[in-house]
Amino acid sequence: MVMAQKILIIEDEDIMRNLLSKKLKGAGYQVSTAKDGQEGMDLLEKEKFDLVLSDIIMPKLGGLEVMERMNQDPGLKNIPIIVVSNSGQPVELDQARRFGAKDWLVKTEFDPQEVIVKIKKILGE
Amino acid sequence: MALEKDDNKNVGQGAGAPQETESDLRQARSALLNILDDTEMARRLAVEERNKTLAIVQNFSDAILVFDENNSLELINPLAEEFLNAKQEDLLGKNMDELLDTPKTKALMEALGIAGKDFIEKVFRKEFMARPDFYLEITTAPLIMDSQPKGTLIVLHDITREKNIEKMKTEFVSISAHQLRTPLSAIKWTLRMILDGDVGPIASEQKEILEKSYSSNERMINLVNDLLNVSRIEEGKFLYKPEPIQLEEVINSTVNALQEEAKRRGLSLVFNNGGKEPLPMVKLDKEKMKLAVDNLINNALKYNTTKNGKVEISAEKLDDKQLRVTVKDNGLGIPAAQQARIFTKFFRGENVVRLEVDGSGLGLYTTRNIIEAHGGKIWFESKQGEGTSFYFTVPFA
Repeated sequence: MVMAQKILIIEDEDIMRNLLSKKLKGAGYQVSTAKDGQEGMDLLEKEKFDLVLSDIIMPKLGGLEVMERMNQDPGLKNIPIIVVSNSGQPVELDQARRFGAKDWLVKTEFDPQEVIVKIKKILGE
Repeated sequence: MALEKDDNKNVGQGAGAPQETESDLRQARSALLNILDDTEMARRLAVEERNKTLAIVQNFSDAILVFDENNSLELINPLAEEFLNAKQEDLLGKNMDELLDTPKTKALMEALGIAGKDFIEKVFRKEFMARPDFYLEITTAPLIMDSQPKGTLIVLHDITREKNIEKMKTEFVSISAHQLRTPLSAIKWTLRMILDGDVGPIASEQKEILEKSYSSNERMINLVNDLLNVSRIEEGKFLYKPEPIQLEEVINSTVNALQEEAKRRGLSLVFNNGGKEPLPMVKLDKEKMKLAVDNLINNALKYNTTKNGKVEISAEKLDDKQLRVTVKDNGLGIPAAQQARIFTKFFRGENVVRLEVDGSGLGLYTTRNIIEAHGGKIWFESKQGEGTSFYFTVPFA
């Protein structure tokens, strides 16, 4: 039996976190959730993930900081990250790319189904 | 005094003349004295008027500078001294070139655009940053007396407060629009997942209602995005990242994305570029240009209730420097009386509003900003009831 791939969702907004989690589970992934960057880092250090979906603006630790820390950790720096943000500002986008984000989704512009499409593309399914 | 002297001389000359002559002379003398009195009175009045005018100028709530007909500084009021942080004795009598070389007046002279010219152009409400966080509005007017040019008046009005309020307003719009997007995206995703059956099957009637709320929410998202774009333009945060590109690509992808919308409205949407050789490359910010093209085509679709309604887009070489894009519709048209205002923020045509078609009135404002930021021009021809053609140019890469 093939193990389901594990995805970590870091998102401070309850409703978005729950919707994303439901959508991803529905698509057959194993999902863990964190409600801020700090919780996300704790989980990343304990478990092994195949992909991270992260918001940018969050309490305690923001998405860009999470990416920065992951970059500095040899065990984490190769995990692909998709940013799911409310903003599509070119400045933030550039920054996220520099920190190694594989893709960027603006919440108001993308449907949940497209998240699955992007994940599949990145995980090479 | 001179008169009196003359008077005595006359009296002297008239010595020994008949008595009538003497009384005549006396009368003439008193008449002359009356004239003298009147003249003195008039002089005093003139001085009074002059002082009054000077007092007005000196205490005026705007800064005033007056250049004489030779373009030398003739007058500067205290507020102008304060705004320029200079003393009048250091400036008076200097001509424009000398003032251009004077550190304290250099920036103002540059703003007046006098370099290389021997006259001061007419300027109306031109914005000028005199110092960081200190904004003035410059207006100039020629001084003409008896149809002769007598110099130029320059008025500087402090608009720092207005600028700050404008900045706060822009920031307010930007922050609230960002805050609005968060719940809007939550609504979007919730509705979408219910509609997609992610949380269980739904009945067709439920689906129909949810589809409608989904599209209302999409309208709200577009409105908020328009507001955000405008506030970014005004904050100067609407950054452009140009790259060499085929303009047809941008138009094609926009037209394809809007085909379904056109079909829904019973309109034909065509991009007339088939079979032609590729156009010269242009340097564009792809995303921004998409937004501009999308705004133009969307307007053409939205404001078209004609039977056999159609929207035609074409792109061609205008000359050896630029491309021209045309977006032509046979829709409602823009009322002649309102045509001058269509690129202003929040403008919506009165014939359009009566139709109750939704819209923010921000699309064309944003579009013009995008086209001009690319070094292009945008204009239109329109006749109410017949349709509108929008044109814009983009220079070659």
